[in-house]
Amino acid sequence: MRAPRTRKAGAACTSAVLLGLGVACSGSSGLHHNTIALPADNVADVFVDYGLIGYANGLFTTVTVCVPGSTSDCQTIDHVLVDTGSSGLRLLGSVLTLSLPAFTNDSGVGLAECQQFISGSIWGPLRSADFKIANEQASNLTIQVIEESTYPMPSDCTGTDISSPELLGANGNLGLSSIAQDCGPPCAAALGPHSENPGLYYACASATADGCQAAAVPLAQQLTNPVLFFSQDNNGTIFELPAIPAEGAPSVAGSLVFGIGTRDNNGLEQASVIRLDDYGQFRTQYPTNSTPTLAFVDSGSNMMLFLDSTTTHIPTCYDALHPDISDFYCPTATLNLSAKIEDTFGGATLIVNFSVANAITLFSGDNIAFNNLAGPSVTPSGQSFMPTYFDWGLPFHFGRNVFTAIDGQETPAGQGPFVAF
Amino acid sequence: MQTIPFTSTLFCKLLPPCAFFALLLCSSPARAALGGDASSIGTGQTHLLATARIERAATHTMHELQAATGTKVREYADNDGKVFGVSWQGPFRPDLRQLLGAYYETYLNAAKTRVGRGPVNIQIPGLVIQMSGHQRAFYGRAYLVDRVPQGLSTDEIR
Repeated sequence: MRAPRTRKAGAACTSAVLLGLGVACSGSSGLHHNTIALPADNVADVFVDYGLIGYANGLFTTVTVCVPGSTSDCQTIDHVLVDTGSSGLRLLGSVLTLSLPAFTNDSGVGLAECQQFISGSIWGPLRSADFKIANEQASNLTIQVIEESTYPMPSDCTGTDISSPELLGANGNLGLSSIAQDCGPPCAAALGPHSENPGLYYACASATADGCQAAAVPLAQQLTNPVLFFSQDNNGTIFELPAIPAEGAPSVAGSLVFGIGTRDNNGLEQASVIRLDDYGQFRTQYPTNSTPTLAFVDSGSNMMLFLDSTTTHIPTCYDALHPDISDFYCPTATLNLSAKIEDTFGGATLIVNFSVANAITLFSGDNIAFNNLAGPSVTPSGQSFMPTYFDWGLPFHFGRNVFTAIDGQETPAGQGPFVAF
Repeated sequence: MQTIPFTSTLFCKLLPPCAFFALLLCSSPARAALGGDASSIGTGQTHLLATARIERAATHTMHELQAATGTKVREYADNDGKVFGVSWQGPFRPDLRQLLGAYYETYLNAAKTRVGRGPVNIQIPGLVIQMSGHQRAFYGRAYLVDRVPQGLSTDEIR
C-alpha cells in the first residue's frame, strides 16, 4: 500500500523548473540546503507513513528484485525501511514470493548470516538478485532473506530473534550506510585460533541443526550497500525530505537521490561536509561548549537519541501502562536546542538547531512523522556504565538534504566516507 | 501486503525506536557464565580470547578478556568465585548464550515482551540486562541483582 504521493512543497516547484534548475521545491528553511528532487532516473520516492504497524518516523521506499538476468521474474516490494545505519538489502521471507537462487561460496555451499542489532538478531540465507530502484540497478546482488526457515538458526546465533514483520515494522531493510559492507575485513579473515573473524557468516552444508558452520566470506560476497554496485551514481545517496510542522504530519513524501555530484540534480551545493571515522562517526557537542560526544547520522533511527537524562536535564516519559515510553524524552514544554557538529579530522564545524517535544503529547494526535521526537541514548540506570552518543536520527532529516558518501568512493568534495547537509 | 490499521495508541508509536544497527556475532569460546563458577574463567579462554587482565578488589575479582575480534568482555566474580556480573564492549557482540549461561533463556523470555529496537533495558526480579550502541560499536552488561556483593555499586559493573 502506497502513501499519498502528494508533495507538500509541490507548489514551490514551478519556478525552479521554469528556471531550468535541476532541482525543485525549495524547502521552508532558508538556513540549510533543502530541495526535493523531481522524478528522474536516479530518484526514488520515499515516504513516512503508518507503514505495517504504525510506528513513528519509519522512512520507507519500494524496491524491485528479479531473478538474476531476468526482466520478467521480478517482484516489487513496498514498505522497505531505508536505513543509513546498516548495509545491504534484507527482505522478509513471508513477503518475498519470488524464488531467488541461493548465494553460494566458491565450493558451491549456500551461505547464511546471523546479523545482530541492538535489541536482537536476524538469521537467514543469502540469495542472489538483480536489485532495481528508480532506474538504477545492481545486478547479481547478494541479499539476505530473513524470517525464512531454510536453515535452522545455529545455537551460537544469539539474541532475541527480531525477524518478524511485527518487530521489524517493515517488509525489509535497505541498508545504505557509508560503511560499505555489513561486516567488512573481519568476516573475510580465516577462522581459527586468534582469528579476528566474529563468525557472522555461515556456510550451510545441510539443513540440519548443525548444518551451518561459521565461514570466512570475502568482502565482495558480503551484504553491501547496493548503491556501490550501480553502474553510475554509485558514490552515495541524498535524503531529501521536506520540513514539517512542530506538531508533526500524518505522512511525508520525499526523494532518495542516488549519486553525489554525478548529475545536475545531486550536487552538494552549499552543504557542509563532515568526514567520518572508520565507524561512521563524527563528534557533536551539546551544549555547544561541552565535551564532544561520538555522533552519527542514521535514517533508520526513528528519533534523535542523545546523551542521557542526567546530562540533558530533560525528563524521560512515564506511563505505567506503557513502560517502554521511557525510551523518549518528555519535557514539559518543547525545548529549542543547539548542538555543534564537528568534522572528524578538524574540518567543518557547524551549529545545528533542533527541538525536543513531549513525546506523549506528540503521540496523542494522529500524526506519525515528527521532527522533534527524541530520547536518551542510554537507559537511566545504564548511564553510568555505557558511553552516551548523539544519534541524528530521522527527525534531523526533515527540511534538510542529507548526503551520505560511501567509504572509498570519489565525490566532488573528496573521497567518502562523509555525511553532508 | 498486510495493512494494520493505526490505532492511535502510544503502544503503536513506540515500536522500533532505533536503527537497523548492524552488529556482528562473536563466536566466542566456552567461558564462565553469569551465575556460574569463576574458576573456569582462565581455562575457558580458547581461540578468540587473546589476553586477560585480572583486578582484585575487596568485594570481588574482575577478569577482563580481550577477543581477537576487538571485543572486550569483563566478568565479575564474588569472593566465593561466583560470577555475578558480565559486561562487553566492542565492534561485535559476544555469544550471549555462553555469557549469560543459565540466564540466557530468562533473557529471551523477557526480551519477547519488549518492543523497540533502541537501547535495551531489561529489569526483571533478580536480573538486569542493558544493551546500547550502534553499528560496529556495542555495549552491554548483565548482573544478578541479589548477588552483587555488599558495598559494591552496580556502577562498577562496566
